[in-house]
Amino acid sequence: MNQSTSTVINTILTVALRNLLAHRRRTFLTIGAIAVGLASLIFLWGFNEGLHRNMLGNFQDAIIGSIQIHHQGFFQHPELSKAIANPQKVVEALRQADVSRYSMRLESFGLAASDITTQGVMLIGMDPLREGEVTQLGKRIGIGRFLAPEDEYTLILGATTANNLQVKLGDEVIIIGYDRFGAMLAESFTLIGIITSGEMGLDKGMAITTLATLQEMVDMTDRITTVVISSEEKRVPSLTAELEAALQGDELEVMPWYSMFPVMKEWVTLHNGFLYLFLGVVLFIVLAGELNTMLISMLERTREFGVLMAIGTTGYQIAGILLVEAVVIGIVGILSGILLGYVIVLFSSNYGIDLSILLGSTSRFYVDPLIYPHLKLDHLGITSGVILIASIFAGLYPAWRASMLQPVEAIRNG
Amino acid sequence: MGNNQDSSIIYLRGLHKCYWVGTMPFPALHGLDLDIAPGEFAVVAGRSGSGKSTLLNIVGALESADSGRVEVLGQDILGMNSEQRTRFRLHNIGFVFQAYNLIRVFTARENVAYVCQLQGKSRKESMEIANHWLHEVEIGHLGYRRPDQLSGGQQQRVAVARALASNPKLILADEPTANLDSMTGRHLIRLMHELNHRFGTTFLISSHDPDVKQAAGRLIKLADGQIVESWEEVPEPPQSLSASCPANHLPLGERVRNYIKTRKQSRARKRRGGNQRRS
Repeated sequence: MNQSTSTVINTILTVALRNLLAHRRRTFLTIGAIAVGLASLIFLWGFNEGLHRNMLGNFQDAIIGSIQIHHQGFFQHPELSKAIANPQKVVEALRQADVSRYSMRLESFGLAASDITTQGVMLIGMDPLREGEVTQLGKRIGIGRFLAPEDEYTLILGATTANNLQVKLGDEVIIIGYDRFGAMLAESFTLIGIITSGEMGLDKGMAITTLATLQEMVDMTDRITTVVISSEEKRVPSLTAELEAALQGDELEVMPWYSMFPVMKEWVTLHNGFLYLFLGVVLFIVLAGELNTMLISMLERTREFGVLMAIGTTGYQIAGILLVEAVVIGIVGILSGILLGYVIVLFSSNYGIDLSILLGSTSRFYVDPLIYPHLKLDHLGITSGVILIASIFAGLYPAWRASMLQPVEAIRNG
Repeated sequence: MGNNQDSSIIYLRGLHKCYWVGTMPFPALHGLDLDIAPGEFAVVAGRSGSGKSTLLNIVGALESADSGRVEVLGQDILGMNSEQRTRFRLHNIGFVFQAYNLIRVFTARENVAYVCQLQGKSRKESMEIANHWLHEVEIGHLGYRRPDQLSGGQQQRVAVARALASNPKLILADEPTANLDSMTGRHLIRLMHELNHRFGTTFLISSHDPDVKQAAGRLIKLADGQIVESWEEVPEPPQSLSASCPANHLPLGERVRNYIKTRKQSRARKRRGGNQRRS
């Protein structure tokens, strides 16, 4: 850019900025509207993200973890014959992928029987020590206690199952199952804990004992069917791919949580879709508000633009003045909105937003009543970028109209 | 380009312009021919609606003619597109408007410097040029003020300085004194006249102000879009009683006697001018 071009650009910028300052009230009202719109969007994104994190975190922490590894086809048809052939190879792959939080399980179907009735259950044998690194199941024991390593033939049931069986802590529960060859087995267990999470999937249909007990019962010592891994949410896709590559050819399936329970992912996508809809509404308001401001500004200054054109300002330069004004309003509005939104999210993420007054039982949806908003940079970027584009669009029409003015008409009628 | 054009800064032939309001035509210029030589201080006079402003707008490349030939500084204005006209105005023509039309958000100095900056001159150089011209129009000390802090006369001086700052060959002034009181108007005209003499800039001024007509080196009278009279020289003394009173402290009787005296002189000069043209 040569000096004369930069001088002209500086002059155009000066005219635009001076004009914005000359109409401070209007300028700041428009900036304020953009800032409030953006801040509310940022807060909503933050709240939404906090809600999702809370829900998905709870969902994964409850029992399924972030990723599970099984024998091919086990997730769809859980049978003991589909045990992982070489657990050591899986452990090695996890070590190489720098995964330390994992747990082994043996899973099968069975029947839980009391003196009164029977109930179909998913039998899960889990390592009491390692499980705590992967899930938070222990914290959902409302009555009694979680499994201990030294436990033998102790059992944890969900509240609904226990209620159906009409058993209480210390009562005997008979578990009827099958070994890997299909032969029927039965063992007596002592109920030591009842899960009272409020989550339907946990409270009903689950019977949990130690891994060693279940292995002994079904005569599968040192055999497992499931490896449960806990990972940071953003690492889940890459870790899945990494483990898939490492375990290729071993007839294993590496399944992230969203492949096992796609409905949860779809729910999050749908929820985000609502926010995009809201983003659209706010964008429309911002666009309409700024377009209004720019049009008023343009119409008010028709005469001035006519004079500027008469003394040698080109149509492009006139359009440039209005576009600069629109972009400056947009940028200042966006920066103010980011600041305001960030402060609101920061404040609310420290103290949390308590939804217990609004919602009777959120635990049914794996949601804690206290939500901690969390701001994601990509949401911030998308929202700010879209509002900036809206600001430019708001300036385009008045800029185009101003550039098409005829000097004489503008001076005469302005 | 013919010989006529070579010696003229403005060369107009067969200029027609008609405005339309719905289906109603309003002819503004009707086959107008005009030549203005470099350095002239020409005044276009005529009643409202006679076509004065239209003529200036067309010469100033602000408006198109329906037909005819318009050459300004040897350039065919009508053949230019909008962008070329704007560039042409920026580098060759200065404008002074009736309503001053300064940029509200700029100081007087910035208003004058604006055109220089548009021409690509640095801000520093533009400000120096602005200072120079503000001093030339005798308001150098008011450069820091914004238009709303200046009187009408001061604002029009800023407008004159702005018109001169781009170093144009031609200045077009459309009713420059119409919004000023007579005393201020006369000062402004005297100033423009002086600038015309000192710098040789051609002035084409539209006005029906007698003081302006009186100062003209050439008076072009328009009626119904045609030139009805054109004098190379008009009497210098003022034509109106109010304008004849530079020294308002004189007793009324003496002011009236002065006025009658100057009217007589004016008529005599006008007659001499008419005889010369006929001969």
